Amino acid sequence: MSEKALADSPVALLECRRINKSYNGPMVLSEVDFSMKRGEIHALVGENGAGKSTLIKIVTGVTNRNSGEMLFEGRPIGIEHSKTAAQVLGIAVIYQELSLIHGMSVAQNLFLTREPRLPGLPFIDIGKMNSLAQELIDRYGFTLKATDVIDSLSIAQRQTVEILKALNSKASLVIMDEPTSSLTSTESAQLFGIIKRLKEDGIGVLYISHRMEEVYALSDRVTVLRDGRKVAVLEKAEIHPEEIIRLMIGRKLDDRDSVHTMRKSDREVVLEVKGLSSEGKFSGIDFQLHAGEILGIGGLVGSGRTELVRALYGIDPHDSGSVEYLGKPWEPGVAGSIRGGFGFIPEERRLQGIMGLISMTGNIGITNIDVIRKMGFVSDRKELDLARKAIGLLNIKPADPSVLVGNLSGGNQQKIVVGKWLIRDLKLLIVDEPTVGIDIGAKEEMYQTFARLAEAGVSIILVSSDLPELTRISHRILVLRKGRIIKEFSEGQVTEEDVLKASSGILPGGAK
Amino acid sequence: MPIATLRRMILIGLLLAIGAVLSFLNPSFLKLDNLMTLLQEASQTGIVAIGFTLVLITAGIDMSIGAVIAVTAMVCVNFLSYTPIPAFLFIPLSLLTGCLVGLFNGYFITHFKLPEFIVTLASRGILAGIALIIAVKDSDGFVSNVYIQDPVYLSFGGTVGPVYIVTIVFIVLAFLTQFFLKRTRAGTNIYATGANPAAARLSGINTDRSIYGVYMFSGFCASLAAIFISARMMTAMPEFGLGSEMDVIASVVIGGTPFTGGVGDIWGTVIGTLFLALIKNGILKLGISPYVQPIAIGGIIVVVVMFDVWYKAFAEGIAKRSAYRRKQSGEAAAAVAAEADAVAGGDGKGERS
Repeated sequence: MSEKALADSPVALLECRRINKSYNGPMVLSEVDFSMKRGEIHALVGENGAGKSTLIKIVTGVTNRNSGEMLFEGRPIGIEHSKTAAQVLGIAVIYQELSLIHGMSVAQNLFLTREPRLPGLPFIDIGKMNSLAQELIDRYGFTLKATDVIDSLSIAQRQTVEILKALNSKASLVIMDEPTSSLTSTESAQLFGIIKRLKEDGIGVLYISHRMEEVYALSDRVTVLRDGRKVAVLEKAEIHPEEIIRLMIGRKLDDRDSVHTMRKSDREVVLEVKGLSSEGKFSGIDFQLHAGEILGIGGLVGSGRTELVRALYGIDPHDSGSVEYLGKPWEPGVAGSIRGGFGFIPEERRLQGIMGLISMTGNIGITNIDVIRKMGFVSDRKELDLARKAIGLLNIKPADPSVLVGNLSGGNQQKIVVGKWLIRDLKLLIVDEPTVGIDIGAKEEMYQTFARLAEAGVSIILVSSDLPELTRISHRILVLRKGRIIKEFSEGQVTEEDVLKASSGILPGGAK
Repeated sequence: MPIATLRRMILIGLLLAIGAVLSFLNPSFLKLDNLMTLLQEASQTGIVAIGFTLVLITAGIDMSIGAVIAVTAMVCVNFLSYTPIPAFLFIPLSLLTGCLVGLFNGYFITHFKLPEFIVTLASRGILAGIALIIAVKDSDGFVSNVYIQDPVYLSFGGTVGPVYIVTIVFIVLAFLTQFFLKRTRAGTNIYATGANPAAARLSGINTDRSIYGVYMFSGFCASLAAIFISARMMTAMPEFGLGSEMDVIASVVIGGTPFTGGVGDIWGTVIGTLFLALIKNGILKLGISPYVQPIAIGGIIVVVVMFDVWYKAFAEGIAKRSAYRRKQSGEAAAAVAAEADAVAGGDGKGERS
């Protein structure tokens, strides 16, 4: 077929040469080369922060590169690229957050702004639109109906509609960012079928995923990024999960710091979780948490980590299982958790942890109303004392309690979120991705704070995607996968590689 | 959309039931005269509500509609009192009043990204003042009531057979707007703008144009209603229509168009308008004090919105449970496959120490 001829043509579908990008300061991408052929399934892998998203953003025109060349189907793309320009060229992105219009049918979404009209009239020919849409659906062998309303579809079906939308706009490069993170295994299998279909039609698929088995099964080639640089391009025959992980973590393997000794605490049990389950989020979670222990929880985004700690703190309900706290049965609930000496530092600290338009004093006071009350009213003096205490404890800058929290740097905002718990009599602290988006100095200070707390007998549950962080500061690590504990690292040596392998489902002693 | 259809059926059933109860309690309710008056009142509110529905579909709100009615009525009496221009010429001109207000609202909403509520509330204040300033005054500078005598103008308050002209216009406008919404690209774009503006822009829709369009149309509808109201009353005052926002919002909300945007249609609004007019008429027919009307309307809004929230959670709960069951069965199959895999590849590495 002509597609075959196209796939063999010497002109690459996408060619990036020596791409450089920095937002302000550090280089996010440096001298990155990347190329894709027609009809190729190409995986882009790398740890968090390796520069995958930035590269995608540059290709799709969401952001502009600082320097470097970019060619699409042999035609150069200028530095001033845009989302619209990318669409016109035929670059389509399937976003994790789907961009379909709710309340509309599949056909309406597929033909949005390009609805077929009655000949010579400005009116939409609904019959024709539905039959054209159904034709497209059938051509790819999907089991959708053109008249189905988006809201009634599953996430996988919606993703299918997104892909069809891209095909309908004559895209020749389809980019998928973690397409399977919200899919069940059957749904993923369907998606892989679709991707192979796209390949047969000569469409290039650029695929970003953390899940090694997918990369292994699907890709024609894999490009590995590390710290903003291209480290390797693997051909089909060279693709092995262990090799990819080694390349992703790279030099860190030689680094002595990356091997950590896990040491299970022998102090008394503070929290005991038995068979905790929540429909569709996590199931059968069992673990014990000891006094003064930092328990790391690893796993991929979407593995149920955040959902688990939210349920423990009592924000979301659970369906079954039991929790024992300090040897007594415990029913999670936010107010009770605070009274019982729990602290919780959420993942989205801007959204859930701070109030930007309120001063440091107010932010710290709000969770400690019980401490600063005097005859039923808030005591300004006590509130201020408390804020000063937190500032001193965590070295918050500027040390002025009247500063609005919204005006502080990311690291100092995070300190406020931590600080408002630390000044309490804390027994158990839950932290979810505590160091995302803060600089190295602030990170270090945060780690020291956690270590000090643990020494003082506070138990810490640390949820993190940052592997060096997880392996370095945890005493013990639980790895979650698809809502279950798949692996516990409780004694002996552990490396980032071990955790990443477990998260990806590659278990020592298991298959492959 | 079966959920919306079911809701609509419930509303129509309720409409008929209330009608039946009213005609049983007071036989004069079923008289042709009363029914036509009821429809005439419903139509005056309904014309404005049609424009308002489009604004709500874009997830906006238009608080200026009442004041547009006032200003339009004042523009008309100025033409009548101070110019020899015949009604068939100045009426189309005065309809532009609402369009201009919509243009103003749209400009501040799209260009400066100001909240719709604030912009249109400000317009409402400005227009209410303008209505007083341009009102026809007597020699002492007091606002004087103008009695409309122009026969062409008054004919707008008249009937064709037993049916009021305003009712005919309302029905035609409802048909045209519904057709526009569902069968033109511009109509589809309005839904997309309200449902997911980011996705709409990604799909190449000019969402600003949709927003300008709906506010101008909303203003136009309010101006059109002003002509009918003043012709029917045979006079016009500068506080005309102020406060009618309440009835309009109630009609649209009862009709099932939510404030969240992206959903809704004109048929819902038509039914909502009839429902509201029926309640108001019923209060009069049962000899209850008309002062009860606003209380009843306020109460109905709360009840309807409560029902919608409950109904939505109920429908979503059903969908979620069935999706979870699907997921469970899929996951079980995968687990079996994985186990088989593990058995097959038994020569893997040993446990790490």
